[in-house]
Amino acid sequence: MNNLLQINSTDVTVFVFAGIIVLALLFGFIMYFLFSYRHKQKDFQLLHDQKQQIDVQKIELEKTLRELKSTQAQLIQQEKMANLGELTAGVAHEIQNPLNFVNNFSEVSNELIEELKTERQKTESERSAGTENDIINDIEQNLQKINYHGKRAESIVKGMLQHSRANAGVKEPTDINKLADEYLRLSFHGLRAKDKSFNADFKTDFDESIGKINVIPQDIGRVLLNLFNNAFYTVNEKRKSASDSYLPTVLVQTKKLNSAIEIIVRDNGDGIPKKIIEKIFQPFFTTKPTGQGTGLGLSLSYDIIKAHSGEIKVESKEGEGTTFIIQLPIL
Amino acid sequence: MLAVLVVLTLLSELTAKYVAYILHNNNMVYHFFTPVEFLFYVLIYQQFFSSKKWNYILWLCFAILVFSEIFNTIFFQPLNVDNTNILILESIFLVAFSLSLFIKISESEYHQHLLKEGIFWFNSAVLFYYAFNILIWGFHSIQVYNLKNPPMFIYNFILVFSGLLYAIYAFATGLNSIAVKKRRLNHE
Repeated sequence: MNNLLQINSTDVTVFVFAGIIVLALLFGFIMYFLFSYRHKQKDFQLLHDQKQQIDVQKIELEKTLRELKSTQAQLIQQEKMANLGELTAGVAHEIQNPLNFVNNFSEVSNELIEELKTERQKTESERSAGTENDIINDIEQNLQKINYHGKRAESIVKGMLQHSRANAGVKEPTDINKLADEYLRLSFHGLRAKDKSFNADFKTDFDESIGKINVIPQDIGRVLLNLFNNAFYTVNEKRKSASDSYLPTVLVQTKKLNSAIEIIVRDNGDGIPKKIIEKIFQPFFTTKPTGQGTGLGLSLSYDIIKAHSGEIKVESKEGEGTTFIIQLPIL
Repeated sequence: MLAVLVVLTLLSELTAKYVAYILHNNNMVYHFFTPVEFLFYVLIYQQFFSSKKWNYILWLCFAILVFSEIFNTIFFQPLNVDNTNILILESIFLVAFSLSLFIKISESEYHQHLLKEGIFWFNSAVLFYYAFNILIWGFHSIQVYNLKNPPMFIYNFILVFSGLLYAIYAFATGLNSIAVKKRRLNHE
C-alpha cells in the first residue's frame, strides 16, 4: 500500500495506456492469425480434396494403363501371329525343298538296298565286293544328305516357332546376312504362294565382313520380314498400274560401319508421300486396305530396333521408291 | 510437461510464501525458479518445433538465460532483489518462441479446428502473459516507479494474470489429452 502511494498517478495512466495498447496489439495479432489460418485451412482443404480426386484419377489411370499394356501385349502377339500367317506359305515352300530331297534320297536309298540284297543273293563267284561297297557308300552318302535336309527343315520349323513365341527372346551372336537372306526368301515365297500374280525381283548385296552380331534373332527377323513384306507389297502394287517396262525390284544390302552394321532395304515402288512419312512408325498407321495390315508392323519394328540400341531411318521419293536403313551397334 | 510445469509453479509459489514468512524476502526463490521454469518452456517448445535448428536455438537461449541470471545476480540484482532483468529476458525469449510457433502453425497442414487444439491456447497464453511481463518488468527496469522492487499493485496484477495463465494451461492440457484419446481410438 505504501508502494502504491508512492506511485504518481501519471505513471499508472501510462502503464494502463501501454497495457491497453499491448492488449489491443495482441488481440489484433491473434485475430489476424486465426483469420489467416482459417483462410489457409480452406486452401489446404481444397488442396486436400483435389489431392484425393487426383489419387482416385491416378488409380483409374493406373488401371487403364494396366489394361492398355495388356491390350498392347495382346496386339503384339496378334501381330506376331499375323506375321506367322504371312510366313506360313513361305515356310511351306522352304520346307518343300528339303522334304523333296529327303523323299528322293530315301527312295534312291531303298532302290540301292534292293540292289544290295540282289547282289548278296548271287553266288560267291558272281558277287563283286567292289559293287557292294559302292552301293553301301552311296547309301551312306544318301543318308547324310537326308540328315542334312532333315536338319534344314527342322531349323525352318524352329525359326517359325521362335517367331510365334510370346516371351522375349535372348540376344545371341547372329549372322545377319543369313537371317536377312532367309527372311527375304520366306517373304518372297510367302507372297508368291498367296498371290499367283505376284512377281518381283530381289537382289542381295551382303557385306561378308560383318560377321555375327549380338541380337535377338527372332525380333530382328520380325523387323526384316516387315520391311521385306512392305517392300514386296509396294512394288507389286506399282507393277499393277505401271508400264510393262517397270521391273519391280527389292534390294537388300548389308554394310559394316565403324561401330555398327547397316541393313538397307530398298524398293523401287511408289514411295511414301511426304505428308505421311512422319506417321509411318506410329502404331495402327497403315496405308493398306482394311484387313490387309494391322498398322503395327513398322511401329513394332521401331520398338525392336530401339530396344537393340539401334536406329531405323526412312528415305523416300514419291514415284521412285523407298529405302529403310537399320543401324545396329556392334556390341 | 505442461502439467509438470503447473505443479512446479505451485510448489515454487508455496516455497516463496514459506521463505517470505521465514526471511521476509522471497526474491531469492525466483532467482532459482526462473531458469527452471524456462527449462520447462524450452522442453515444451522443443516438442512443438521438433527440428534440429530450433533445438539449437532453444538450448542456446536457455544457456544465455542461465548465464545472464548468474551475471545479473552478481552485478545488478542480488538474491534479495527481484530478478526483473531476467524476467524481461525470459519474457522476450518466450514471446519470440510463441510468435515463431504461430508462424509454424500457420504454415503447417492442420485439419482440425484450431480453437480445439491445446497448442493454440497454450501458445496464446504464453504470448499474452509474457508480452505483459515485458511491459510490467520493463516499466520497473526503466525505473518508471523509481522503487527497488515493483509496486504491490503490479504483483497483484501479475497474480491475477498468472491465475488466468495457469487456468488456460490446464484447459490446454485437457484439450490435448482429449485429442490424444481421440487419436488412440481412431488408431484402434
